[in-house]
Amino acid sequence: MATKNIVIIGNSAAGVSAVEGIRTKDRESKITIISDEQFLAYCRCLISNYLAGTIAEKDLVFRDKNFYSENKVELLLEKKAERIDTKKKKVYLEDKTVIPYDALLIAAGASPKMPKDLKGINKRGVFGFRTIKDTKEILTIASISHTSCVLGGGLVGLKAAYGLAKRKQDVKVIVKSNRILSQIADKQASELFLSRFSENGIEVMLNTDVSEIIGNGDLKAVKLDNGKVIGCSLVIVGKGVSPNTKLVLESDIKIDKGILVDEHQCTNINDVYAAGDVAETFDVATEKYENNALWPCAVEQGRVAGLNIAGENLQYAGSLGMNSIEFFGLPLISFGVFDGEYETVSSLDKGKAIYRKLVFKNSRLIGALLAGNIHNSGLYLRLIKERSDISKIKDDLLDVNLNYAKIAELVKEEEKIYI
Amino acid sequence: MKKLYYDVSKCLACKSCEIACAVGKSTSGELFKAIFEEVKPQSCVEVKTTGGKNFPIACRHCKEHPCVSACIAGALSYDQAKGRVIYNKDKCVGCWMCVMVCPYGAIRDNKELKIPIRCDLCADVDEPRCIKACPMGAIMFLEEEEFDKMLAEKKVNKKPV
Repeated sequence: MATKNIVIIGNSAAGVSAVEGIRTKDRESKITIISDEQFLAYCRCLISNYLAGTIAEKDLVFRDKNFYSENKVELLLEKKAERIDTKKKKVYLEDKTVIPYDALLIAAGASPKMPKDLKGINKRGVFGFRTIKDTKEILTIASISHTSCVLGGGLVGLKAAYGLAKRKQDVKVIVKSNRILSQIADKQASELFLSRFSENGIEVMLNTDVSEIIGNGDLKAVKLDNGKVIGCSLVIVGKGVSPNTKLVLESDIKIDKGILVDEHQCTNINDVYAAGDVAETFDVATEKYENNALWPCAVEQGRVAGLNIAGENLQYAGSLGMNSIEFFGLPLISFGVFDGEYETVSSLDKGKAIYRKLVFKNSRLIGALLAGNIHNSGLYLRLIKERSDISKIKDDLLDVNLNYAKIAELVKEEEKIYI
Repeated sequence: MKKLYYDVSKCLACKSCEIACAVGKSTSGELFKAIFEEVKPQSCVEVKTTGGKNFPIACRHCKEHPCVSACIAGALSYDQAKGRVIYNKDKCVGCWMCVMVCPYGAIRDNKELKIPIRCDLCADVDEPRCIKACPMGAIMFLEEEEFDKMLAEKKVNKKPV
């Protein structure tokens, strides 16, 4: 095989997984990774553990420097890719370096959405929560701060709140909507978590928004839309993320919510692929193109992109909203669709804080929420992903005794393990 | 690359495999002490009944190993040479991503220890403890070729003479 010059923008889940995909097929081509951060590949999902002090900075790293040498990867850290010329096949960096490519993978990730119009958003002490750098700066302020505010009741906001509480901060979570975790839980499941937070001393204010961030250079307080003012020296914004598509704006690479890719993770331009939080892929549950900015999706997309760059003809099975979280001993695994006018079955044991719900569309499972008891979650994921016809076992699906043997006939694989 | 195979026509769901597994995973390694351990040892294999047959369900160490891809902490890895999924407790943060993606429902959450419960094929001893524990000989530890051969022989024997 002729060797190629492969360039990967991004050094996280998708980029690293792409390297592993490429190297299973192609040991020779040159691989260059461009990252605007200063760290080896680390897990963003764990920065709240780092904030909480339950893991050390070095343990965030999931591929150490041996990974880069063993896979013959040239790693360019603290270099920002600014634009791409797909005709000349070149990536232009902020420092004016030009890097030519034969195949390009854009795995540039996403950035926290900051409410630009909020007065005072640029004051010192206001952070997104995405990187080791963010966390380090937050920790510095947390060491002298007493009260912290978190804007947004999503997963990132609540993980930040949890970490700050562990750092002895008095934490207030300010949520515009009427529930927390609205992207990964229905009203019922979110209520289970809401009570856990208040029982553990984290105040969550629903139906409340921030109207102004007050301070003189440094943040001093936040003003709420109900007129109340909370004095604080730290604000973390957890209002979702947006894909880092800026570097392709001037190119002819197609963007919708994220960079649009086909089932091969290829963009509309040959030899330019995209994967991970920057990409928009077909969602098997909603049956629409979505920007599912999730770790396991990024790993899988990166692998598919990598193998295809190395000459395979592999199709991505499609993305899917999937999250596993745990707060104060209460776990939740959530898949696909859980709100809307669909047929559902559910069971709730408030005393034990166990809530399980399945969502159906015709003869397919399109969503599942499993709180308090997460056993067999993977079986539901499999049925959703494979779009299996579950009509035969629909009545038994919520049963806690569900097991692989029960669904074996419905899934695609013919496994050779039982006789 | 030996793996576990199960003859479900023999399995009576006596759960001897579950007991042997849990004892093997206990601190004391002895049944009567294991019962009284503060954190109850749990079995990696679970026997489940479906359609009148009993299926022991445990980690397959499957070739796709989605648990390894999903692990955010780098605690799970795949040893290509051994054909096994390897777990590093020191790196595990108990995020349950592996539970979320296991296509066989073969990984459970140990809430007390915050670690996944999954079969490591008794990495500490020569062969998985469930094999000897099974009074019916329903659990086999074989190379894939050996299993294929056995299946082929069974087919031949079934044919009328």
